[in-house]
Amino acid sequence: MNSIFDMENTTEKIKRGITALLLLLITAVLPAQHYLAEEGKVYFKSDAPLELIEARSTAMRAIIDADKRTFAFSVPISSFEGFNSPLQRVHFNENYLESDRYPAATFSGKIIEKVNFTAPGTYTVRAKGKLTVHGIEQERIIKSELTVSGAALTVRAAFTVLLDEHDITIPKIVYQKIAEEIEVEVEAVFTPE
Amino acid sequence: MKYLLPILITALFTMGSQAQEDDLLSLLGEEEETVEYVNAAFKTNRVINLHSLESTSAGVLDIKISHRFGTLNRGAYELFGLDNATIRIGGDYGITDQLTIGLGRSSFQKTYDGFVKYKFLRQSTGAKKMPLTAAFFASTALQTMKWQNPDRENYFSSRLYYTFQMIVGRKFSESFSLQLSPTVVHRNLVKTSAESNDVFALAAAGRIKITKRLALNAEYIYVLPDQLLPGFRNSLSVGFDIETGGHVFQLHFTNSTSMIAPGFVAQTVENWGDGGIHFGFNVSRVFTVVKPKFD
Repeated sequence: MNSIFDMENTTEKIKRGITALLLLLITAVLPAQHYLAEEGKVYFKSDAPLELIEARSTAMRAIIDADKRTFAFSVPISSFEGFNSPLQRVHFNENYLESDRYPAATFSGKIIEKVNFTAPGTYTVRAKGKLTVHGIEQERIIKSELTVSGAALTVRAAFTVLLDEHDITIPKIVYQKIAEEIEVEVEAVFTPE
Repeated sequence: MKYLLPILITALFTMGSQAQEDDLLSLLGEEEETVEYVNAAFKTNRVINLHSLESTSAGVLDIKISHRFGTLNRGAYELFGLDNATIRIGGDYGITDQLTIGLGRSSFQKTYDGFVKYKFLRQSTGAKKMPLTAAFFASTALQTMKWQNPDRENYFSSRLYYTFQMIVGRKFSESFSLQLSPTVVHRNLVKTSAESNDVFALAAAGRIKITKRLALNAEYIYVLPDQLLPGFRNSLSVGFDIETGGHVFQLHFTNSTSMIAPGFVAQTVENWGDGGIHFGFNVSRVFTVVKPKFD
């Protein structure tokens, strides 16, 4: 109680508080170092006993915040092309990924390792975050290769997605034609915003 | 006061960093809009007898085998119609995603048919918004029965039938699609002068998707009055589409015997009211002739 009436002490505290607030404001106002990728590539492969299905998209968008080491990747489901027939692509969108309801697959979170985004080189990092496919979120740690060259960043990653984990069901009749585990490869070139 | 400031700052920081992560994803949300064409309004390019607003994709061959059995009111002696079958075997091919051609042969009056279907409007959302899909359909049918009066002078042109149709429809939601098809069937030769050579009709068809792989279809063809002799009826068909990967099985009940427009529009005689209902099916199997580009 005494301290409230202790003018000197209070002034000191207010000063410190203001400094802290100012610092906070400056951090918030200063533009964070963002890296953007506009035409990232996503490739996936379903390697089942009776059929191999491949598709890719070049419409993935991604962003990395170098200061906070946070990231977000997003790819529109309907942008995938390839498949073995146009009908397969329709079914992919209509029956399996339900792209009308869940238009994008996303991965966002934080890079575990500290990375010097200014020193050229190739780093192996672990990206920890939420992978959302078919509207179902899964906590994932995905090992990625991050290459710093000049101002640009390149991210490459290969991982698998279990259909079951994302509530994508395979009817019995096509059981031998769709793999339960889908292999995914991602590549994106980032430039500073 | 002592604790207020640190708490406030911590709170601000936490809020800030949380907002930051959300921001990152939302920053990506501001994507340039692309044109998204609405697809799969119907499971295949036929509703039951009618052409649906779907076309066959480019480079895809769709082989169709269709049967219409006899009518249910034939009773147990003919196993409710299953002893008799009228068939059509045909193939549709997608030249582009909007242009489909097809050929077929029906056992009903030994008729060959060929068609061209061009989708000139595609329902889309996104950068270009189009509420409807519209297609133009034209077909020629050649009936090859032996002449009824071989003694008189018969003309090849008398065997020909033409159909022109506009198909306008919309996929209203994931589960509901509806289309209207103004139709004209031209018959070069009719039996009596009381029948008109040109038969105008308005067809309506709809689909309700029940599960991902099962849909309920219905179609009705209203023939404008005073064109056909009494005894001819409007065609009504109801059925299910069952889709299994590359196949679509369409199982249905209809009062029409023929599976092509000159037949089911202008020559339907059976009556739903007295059990003049044919059980039937269309089996569609798609083959990819030209594989989609994959670079």
